[in-house]
Amino acid sequence: MADNNLMHAPIMPIAPKPSQYGIDPSLVKKRVAEMPGMCSLKLTELFPELPEVIYPGGPDALDKLYEVAKEELRKVDMSMIKPTDSVNVLASHHGFTLLGGQPYAILLKAIRDVVHEKTGTDNIRLRAGVGMRFRETEEYIKRYELDKHYGPGKTKGVAPVDEGIPIETEVGTLYGIKAIYDADWIIHAHHTDVREVHFHRQIDKAVKPFGMSYARIETRSTYHQNLGPRAANFTARAIFESEFVQSKFAFGAFLNVGPHGVIGVDADNDLYAINDRATFIGCQLYGKIMTLFGDIDECIAVLDFPCPVPYVFSAGVIYANFTGANQDLYDMEGTPLPAYTWYTEAFYGKDGKPFEKSIPPLNPAIKMCVHNYAWTGYPSAFFSEHVPTVVVGQEQADLFDMEPMNIKYMDHAVVAKTTESAMEFAYKVTGTDKVIIFDGAMGGLNCSKSLAELLIRQAPIVTKRVDEELMPKWFRQRGVDISLLEKLKG
Amino acid sequence: MKRVTMVAKVDPEICRGCKICEKVCPVYAIHVTDKKAYSEPDKCMACANCADRCPFYAITMVKREEPFDVGVDVSKFDEKEIRDLCAKAHFNPEQILCYCVGTRAEEVAACLLDGATTPEEVSARTGMRTGCTIECIQPMLRMVKAAGNELHPNPDGFQWYGTTVTAWDMPEEVKQKYGSRGFYFDEDRALLDKIAEIRTDNEGGANNG
Repeated sequence: MADNNLMHAPIMPIAPKPSQYGIDPSLVKKRVAEMPGMCSLKLTELFPELPEVIYPGGPDALDKLYEVAKEELRKVDMSMIKPTDSVNVLASHHGFTLLGGQPYAILLKAIRDVVHEKTGTDNIRLRAGVGMRFRETEEYIKRYELDKHYGPGKTKGVAPVDEGIPIETEVGTLYGIKAIYDADWIIHAHHTDVREVHFHRQIDKAVKPFGMSYARIETRSTYHQNLGPRAANFTARAIFESEFVQSKFAFGAFLNVGPHGVIGVDADNDLYAINDRATFIGCQLYGKIMTLFGDIDECIAVLDFPCPVPYVFSAGVIYANFTGANQDLYDMEGTPLPAYTWYTEAFYGKDGKPFEKSIPPLNPAIKMCVHNYAWTGYPSAFFSEHVPTVVVGQEQADLFDMEPMNIKYMDHAVVAKTTESAMEFAYKVTGTDKVIIFDGAMGGLNCSKSLAELLIRQAPIVTKRVDEELMPKWFRQRGVDISLLEKLKG
Repeated sequence: MKRVTMVAKVDPEICRGCKICEKVCPVYAIHVTDKKAYSEPDKCMACANCADRCPFYAITMVKREEPFDVGVDVSKFDEKEIRDLCAKAHFNPEQILCYCVGTRAEEVAACLLDGATTPEEVSARTGMRTGCTIECIQPMLRMVKAAGNELHPNPDGFQWYGTTVTAWDMPEEVKQKYGSRGFYFDEDRALLDKIAEIRTDNEGGANNG
């Protein structure tokens, strides 16, 4: 019997945001977390071993984070940066979708302030890369007033179709975005949130932006089309290790994020040292919740968050990873091809079936997807084709129908007028009352009480499995020494 | 096959003729003349790159009054020739190359067998690379090159720069050096080779047996 004391009132999700990629926030009339039968689970109660967080916290949590960030940044060697040098602080879009976006913006502000304080230079610019939504970071720069903080003309959203620069690497020429590298020094400002485990497989996750949000289309396509699902992230390492990038790299500054909140800040001149520590967070903290979600036997998945379909998240796990949770995404040998990656999607024939039986299906536990609120800006038709999908509101359906990356999304989905009617339809058709809501609820996850019972029951079993059986395997496969885990605890 | 439902529209009052739109258009549908951009409705494939990169927000995407379809009829071309061309680029004919539009390798092969010689022509005739315009550039370049065409990037634009490393030309010393860090180079190459060789049935569906 599950401990019902662990079920709490639902956490109100992040509010809809105005964006060219989503419907007008006023059209989002109802959040699924508000509906009858829903509750929340606190991640620290499911997994008591999770470390304490700075944010979410009290009213001064963001101020504390700013101070922690400055303290960590002051320890980093910045002596290579002279008062007359130019510095590009490199950011990526995804950081702004974490925990409301403020924590990452705070880190970016702290970097600017400490670099100025320690080096004397005023020529500090922000270059913010994107995924596939070329205006996204322009929106964030304004929303979080980074343009004001960095000063006039010092901030720029950059896109993979912008002017490029060839970078000579161990595997030949790859291409970066010219504006990323147009300074004497670069600072890599990122985070430990795992996000696309299906793509990077927690291999060199800390390095990934060099092959993605800082890279041109040629490089990104190399990652997603030329190398294969378990070799892909080498493009990032190849670029980072190039003479050109090494000659400009000053240090990395990471927001240490777990599925439950911001743990701290990690800044270091050695990006691979950060990478090893990020691997621990990715496997140990996120690995447990990811494994727990794999134990869900049946459910309705609800999308209810201001970002594209695959990136809406629950307890740090994105919907794309949940569609592959029927396999161990961290197991490099047992899962050579996850149920969802672009490589997998490519291997489906015209009859809508995989080329061969060894290609795994999308998570069969997802009986239906209720798309209450999610953005365009990522090719998502594969999801609606293979998971029965109900989209709430004609306006949202029309937005997808007219978007160049999603012209086929609505070919496979149906429309419900309201959130209530969509959920009623899903309950009736699937016969399950287990609901998981991907709404980015901070510090916990929103779900139905019936699903909460299962998650509460399974959490300690999963903890034991991950700690004793899975983690040693995951680290071995990545060439990371597990004994470092003990040192980190100290 | 792509249904083109939108078109780029330039506001000449806002346009300053900076030419960024010209440099990012994958089908050369937009041109600047006398310091004003003009998007040709017949050529625009509605990827929205021009609108999303215009520094002055002078371009918007609007709904077409008359949407149209582009695509190449694969059935008009010899199946073996299509398979051979795809194999040269290490693709299965039914493999999806463009995730946004859903373009499969066989359609690109048919387009090339029908006389297309450049990535831009392939985009204009199949719709490939007119969604995100990012992820399918390498397969497109690989296919165009496999058909015996030389690749000449536009020196005045940013459309694309060139081919890059693949699973089939990854240097041995690199594989040795980084193999212990979780990269499965040879295993992934074997997977891609296996996929390329799978035969599908006559109805076009995959052979799941």
